[in-house]
Amino acid sequence: MTILEFARGPAFQAALWIFAFGVCWRLAGVFLMYRRFDRSKPRRHHLVAGGLRAIVMRSLPPHELEKRIVFQHVSGYAWHLTFFISLLFFAPHLPFFKQFLGFGWPTLPNTIALLSGAIALAILLALLWRRATVPVLRQISSLDDYLSIVLVILPLATGFMQYARVLPFGMRYETLLGVHILTICALMVWFPFGKLMHLFLAFPARFQAGALLERKGVEA
Amino acid sequence: MSATIANLDALRTALPALGQRVGRSTRTDDERLARARAVMLGELDASHATYLETCLHCGMCAHACHFYIGTNEAKYTPIYKVEPLKKVYQREIGPMRWLRRLVVSDISLSELEDWQPLVYDACTECGRCDLMCPMGIQISPMIGIMRRALAAADLLPAELAGAADEQKTLGSVLGAGRAEILSLARELETAGVHVPLDLATADVVVLTSAVDIKAYANSFKATAKILNRLKLKWTLLSNSIELLGTGESLKELHVRRIVEEVVRHEAKTLLLPECGHAYPALRFDSAHMIGEPLPFAVLSIAEFVGREIMADRLKVKRAPAMGPVTYHDPCKLGRHGGVFEEPRAAIKALGLELKEMESHGRTNYCCGGGGGQFMIARGAQLRHRAFEIKMREVDDTGAGTVLTACNSCRLNYQNGASESNWQKSVQSIIELVGANLAD
Repeated sequence: MTILEFARGPAFQAALWIFAFGVCWRLAGVFLMYRRFDRSKPRRHHLVAGGLRAIVMRSLPPHELEKRIVFQHVSGYAWHLTFFISLLFFAPHLPFFKQFLGFGWPTLPNTIALLSGAIALAILLALLWRRATVPVLRQISSLDDYLSIVLVILPLATGFMQYARVLPFGMRYETLLGVHILTICALMVWFPFGKLMHLFLAFPARFQAGALLERKGVEA
Repeated sequence: MSATIANLDALRTALPALGQRVGRSTRTDDERLARARAVMLGELDASHATYLETCLHCGMCAHACHFYIGTNEAKYTPIYKVEPLKKVYQREIGPMRWLRRLVVSDISLSELEDWQPLVYDACTECGRCDLMCPMGIQISPMIGIMRRALAAADLLPAELAGAADEQKTLGSVLGAGRAEILSLARELETAGVHVPLDLATADVVVLTSAVDIKAYANSFKATAKILNRLKLKWTLLSNSIELLGTGESLKELHVRRIVEEVVRHEAKTLLLPECGHAYPALRFDSAHMIGEPLPFAVLSIAEFVGREIMADRLKVKRAPAMGPVTYHDPCKLGRHGGVFEEPRAAIKALGLELKEMESHGRTNYCCGGGGGQFMIARGAQLRHRAFEIKMREVDDTGAGTVLTACNSCRLNYQNGASESNWQKSVQSIIELVGANLAD
């Protein structure tokens, strides 16, 4: 079995199962926990609307808060956007999605998808550097923070190497493709255990905060 | 009855002395640690779990915190202040606890001792970080859990421990108890302001505060004048005073007693003084403590007066000219309570020109002394660094007067102003309304 066959076969299958089971386990562990019921009289009653509003509005903090976090704020959204553009709309990725999901979608020109990936990679490297050097970030960072960012960088980096035919250690193209898929497997395996879970938890957390603040009559 | 420098100074002097009331803990270290852990585990629920699991460690919360902004010290990052709580969650109840236990160390008493200045001196539970977090994480309620856990481990700062002990053993707060309330009522009656004291039943039950009694009696005088002008059936309770939030069991005991008193008086409204910390405790937390919705409304006096003015039931005349004013939103009324509109309605009715600070309303900066911080002597320098931010924002408005609706904020402003020789007048909205009731 070649590395590519291993990556596409048992490694991907195992990673997928760990991802799916781990995500369900963690979500269930959080949401099935005892929840205190607030019996106070709400100042405003549209708690669901307040929660939904917070899901959107938390992306747009008021100016007096925003002005101190412009780089973090913009870079955070920018790398997510560019990463997903390169993941979902890069033509060479589509056969995989078609095979896996049974359907596909239009892609972007390679130049745009690659540029998106390059932007994502550059921002992630900058964020990694900031995390290692800015005192606030260093202090609150754990292994999870560094590992998560490295595991997102690796598929991007190996993807670029593959496209540019940069084959380290005399590696064959197919082997590098296998490594690229293995980095994605590693990302999927780590996903349920670390901070990447915010993909599933961010909206519930925002909703919860929005409903709480709505109850108090405060814009979230 | 004015807030003279003498009585303000007396109050300031009384605060550090509180620290001498209590001695060292008589419990073993293991007992103290177990008590802290029990508080954390007892209070953590699905909402905290969602927040702790979602944190990205982005550090943006630091840029909302006046203590971090004022010092640039990374240890004041809000989410860092709940690190021991996060550890307990991750190791003991989080869904990945079997894995986390391998990499997350357990909490220790010395760690909790290290965290004491972070959660008491360097946090006023103002909740500004709660607005900044891109994930919506509400950090300040978790700081509250940290504080209660430390209190259970006998790690309250000495001044707060002294105040809690005074409240528990003497029933007074900062030397203000039943005798002082009775004396205040007598003094007001002599001055021609009727104070219906301890009526059997009333529509409105009014509490006063230790800070009012000790330093700002005019605030209560104004409250009495306003309620009399509205011809309400109200009463002042001589056996109840606003509460300190030090130690959850004490707070709960006090809340329960106040709720029982209001119910016994068949009152429809409980009116709180110009006091920040009592508002969220009685307006929002009390229903949870007693296990059912309150059968009466809880309003702060500024909220009540603003509503009466907006409903045209309370008429005021133009206040004497004082140039532009700015309004300091007390965190516990504003960000924690949604009281933004009502105080501003009162300012407008008084014909004053309001110049808002850049950070006002929900993003208002704390005065630096909330959450009991103003009582902690060793926190003075830190408090002042936070207050400098406030001074800059006020200065930028060009206003000569700061109005507020919380006498703890007012006390902190006046302390900060006197330390910095800052030439701004700090006044109470309620006192202004009380002095300018229309004929």
